[in-house]
Amino acid sequence: MSMRKVLILIAVAWLIAITLVHAWLNLHVFDSRGAATTDHKKFRIGFLPVTCHLTCPVTDFINKQMTGDSFFEPVRFNGWPELKEAYLSGYTPATFILAPMAMALREQGVPIKIVYLGHRDGSAVMVHKDSQIYRMEDLRGKKIAVPNRFSNQRLLIFRALKNAGMTPQDVDLVEMPPPDMPAALYAQAVDAISSGEPFMGQTELDGYGRVLWLTKDVWPNFISCVLAVHEDMIKNDRDTVQRLVDGIAKSGKWIDKNMEHRMETARFVSKFYYNQNPRLLTFVLSKPPDRVKYTNLALRKPDFEEIEKLGREAGILSGRAHFEDYTDASFVTDDTRVEPYAWEPSEDEEHGR
Amino acid sequence: MKSTAAEITDRQGLTSNGAAPQTGERARVGDADSLLWRIVRPVGMAALFLTLWGLAVRWSGSDLFPTPGNVARGIIELIQKGLLIKYIVASVFRVSWGFTLAVVLGVPLGLVLGWYSRAFQAFNPFIQILRPISPIAWIPVAILWFGVSDAAPIFLIFLASVFPITVATIAAVQNMQLVYLRAAQNFGLGTGELFRQVILRACLPQIITGIRIALGVAWLVVVAAEMIAVNSGLGYLIIDARNAGKRYDLVVAGMVMIGLIGLILDLLVRQLEKFDEVRWGYVGRRK
Amino acid sequence: MKEAVISIQNVSMRFPGKRTGEEIAVLEKVNADVARGEFVCIVGPSGCGKSTLLNIVAGFLEATSGEILVEGLPVRRPDPRRIFVFQENGVFPWLNVHENVGFGLRRQTHGKRDRIIARYIDMVGLGGFESAYPHELSGGMRQRVEIARALAANPDIIYMDEPFGALDFLTRLKMRTDLVRIWQSEKKTILFVTHDIEEAVQLADRILIMTARPATIQDVVDVDLPRPRHLDSPGYLEKRDRIFQLMGMSLRVGETAA
Repeated sequence: MSMRKVLILIAVAWLIAITLVHAWLNLHVFDSRGAATTDHKKFRIGFLPVTCHLTCPVTDFINKQMTGDSFFEPVRFNGWPELKEAYLSGYTPATFILAPMAMALREQGVPIKIVYLGHRDGSAVMVHKDSQIYRMEDLRGKKIAVPNRFSNQRLLIFRALKNAGMTPQDVDLVEMPPPDMPAALYAQAVDAISSGEPFMGQTELDGYGRVLWLTKDVWPNFISCVLAVHEDMIKNDRDTVQRLVDGIAKSGKWIDKNMEHRMETARFVSKFYYNQNPRLLTFVLSKPPDRVKYTNLALRKPDFEEIEKLGREAGILSGRAHFEDYTDASFVTDDTRVEPYAWEPSEDEEHGR
Repeated sequence: MKSTAAEITDRQGLTSNGAAPQTGERARVGDADSLLWRIVRPVGMAALFLTLWGLAVRWSGSDLFPTPGNVARGIIELIQKGLLIKYIVASVFRVSWGFTLAVVLGVPLGLVLGWYSRAFQAFNPFIQILRPISPIAWIPVAILWFGVSDAAPIFLIFLASVFPITVATIAAVQNMQLVYLRAAQNFGLGTGELFRQVILRACLPQIITGIRIALGVAWLVVVAAEMIAVNSGLGYLIIDARNAGKRYDLVVAGMVMIGLIGLILDLLVRQLEKFDEVRWGYVGRRK
Repeated sequence: MKEAVISIQNVSMRFPGKRTGEEIAVLEKVNADVARGEFVCIVGPSGCGKSTLLNIVAGFLEATSGEILVEGLPVRRPDPRRIFVFQENGVFPWLNVHENVGFGLRRQTHGKRDRIIARYIDMVGLGGFESAYPHELSGGMRQRVEIARALAANPDIIYMDEPFGALDFLTRLKMRTDLVRIWQSEKKTILFVTHDIEEAVQLADRILIMTARPATIQDVVDVDLPRPRHLDSPGYLEKRDRIFQLMGMSLRVGETAA
């Protein structure tokens, strides 16, 4: 009996202690700052640490710099499945997401609405610098890694194959999380990789990757990731959605305004949001300067119809949903009239998070 | 018969069954089994391993795989950023709760299922079906039920631990020596008393073994469990380091910390085996 | 015959066969009586079902047919007034000697309990080992703990199933002496199963001889020798030889039955 009592006491004491320490260190329960933010109605928005979603942290950061606080809470995920599930469970009513994925969800009846684009271009197909692959035809029989079957990179490769007179059966496509792709290419476990930045640029920067082609050369103004929100959010809280889209649009213009802004973006995003080496984002945002673009992001029907067509051919879309079903382009109709944020970086900026 | 027989028996009675005499004679330095050697051996092994590791990385010329030096520096970097303690606490917190829930639910459940054969027939197929499903497969369910919070990894860790504990408890009850039950019933114990005083105690050594295994599994699953968008923990450190580009030194640093803490946890559970109430279950099996 | 405390009436026992599916008849119409305060031994060849019979009498098994009456009432389940001493591993390994011996005394007050425990630990000669655990003791000492535990509960009847079978020769002799001494002072009824004929002759007032399976009581031998019994007295040897004969065994090692 004594053993049992001693053990129960220790167990209970331990649970209480570890919970308190955890709450103190990690949950900021005792932070005075934590109390202040709970009365704002902050909604969550999901993103991945890729340049496709760059406007998300940029909007958050600039808002915090300008007004002291942001009006949403960015939540970083590590993979597409978790991001998608968080949206489905309602945890993130707004999220950045792959366009074909959003369209497929809509076809399945999920009340999702695309409201703005995330970026244009910003993707590539990389091969190992020592390989003999210089043209699309050289990829015959080779292994190519793509992030997800709903990714535009996959559709893009299908399109490039078609242009080169090949079929998808001529290559071996495998799905792989983007963070794992650089190492796979280095070890030559795959022959080519394709995903959003900065993982493509990483292979170049580290000296073992070579660009086979950039998306801007095969599919100009390629779109991949989009900003989507739950239909109910539009119904119940249109103002907030408008605010969100406006913010994202202004961030996009801000990033593209000049190279100095891009470098600044690389600095604070890699440090406070993506936890990556700043060199990497700097490289990807500048070499070449139009590797990825953040303007011209209003929704346009032809872009999506192209994706619908390719998606049907690739077998991931059924064609049940159309542009009007899965988008709501009313928030920003003319993006040429969007002004960038009027904020310039200054010396004191330690309010990152 | 005569007193000589009595003397012989009682002196023989002092012969214990395999428990080596403690302290005193055995603790001299230089003796192969002394405490000093018991520490030197594994440490020496570790040093050898680290050397081979470093050499292997250098010979292979790999750009990506970290050397022990890289990893050590990674650990120091984490300490300097104040992250190491935070991450360890977060992971230990989730494992503590997930594992405790598994014990609190699994042991009584195992006792009942082991004892009532009809209940066993009804529930066992269920358990055997759910058991081999990897916690990673449960991630979508965890997110849907618990959202993106600490509850989700705790749930996954609970799932991973509850099965070894329940199965070990069931086995212990089913293989219990009949003689204990008969003796207890002979003394007029009712069902409740029978469970608490006899069945649980007779099965405790095996249950503790099950708990040891389950704790290892729980700790193993922490990496998978922390894949769900939590922003702290050793598992999160590893996944985040992958996303951050070339930080494989942090990946391995996370692995090292997980391994070390796993070792400490195991040593702690082993201490449970020293209690008198269960020591009898391990006698004769190891020195 | 004094009044029968235990009455075994027409007990038969059949087990379902494991391999053939046919039933195995183990006991066939066993009849016997045990008087109050008697020391009765049951002997028989290995596997004849003596332990099964004892388990039925104690209430651990239910007979296929027939009845057991103890104090005039049928036996349906084990009872603390009749304690069973097992051949080995009967003591609880998670309790020390003191706690084991006191197992049947849970309802007593602390002080009274400790006194009773101390008395019986002394009686079986284990003074000084109160906080030892069973795995630290020898086989003989463990059996003594079990006997002390049985006695401390102050039962009317003690059932013993080859309690000394796992012990060595010298220890067995000592244990028998102690058992007789205790029985004489505590005056319990004892029903004792053994395969050792000499043991039965050394201990019992009456010996019930069982046949091989399907077993029944073939003979009853009264052992009216005074105690303590000398192993070389003619009376002892005569009884022993008689039983050997009845069981169809030869007195010469190496020779088959006549």
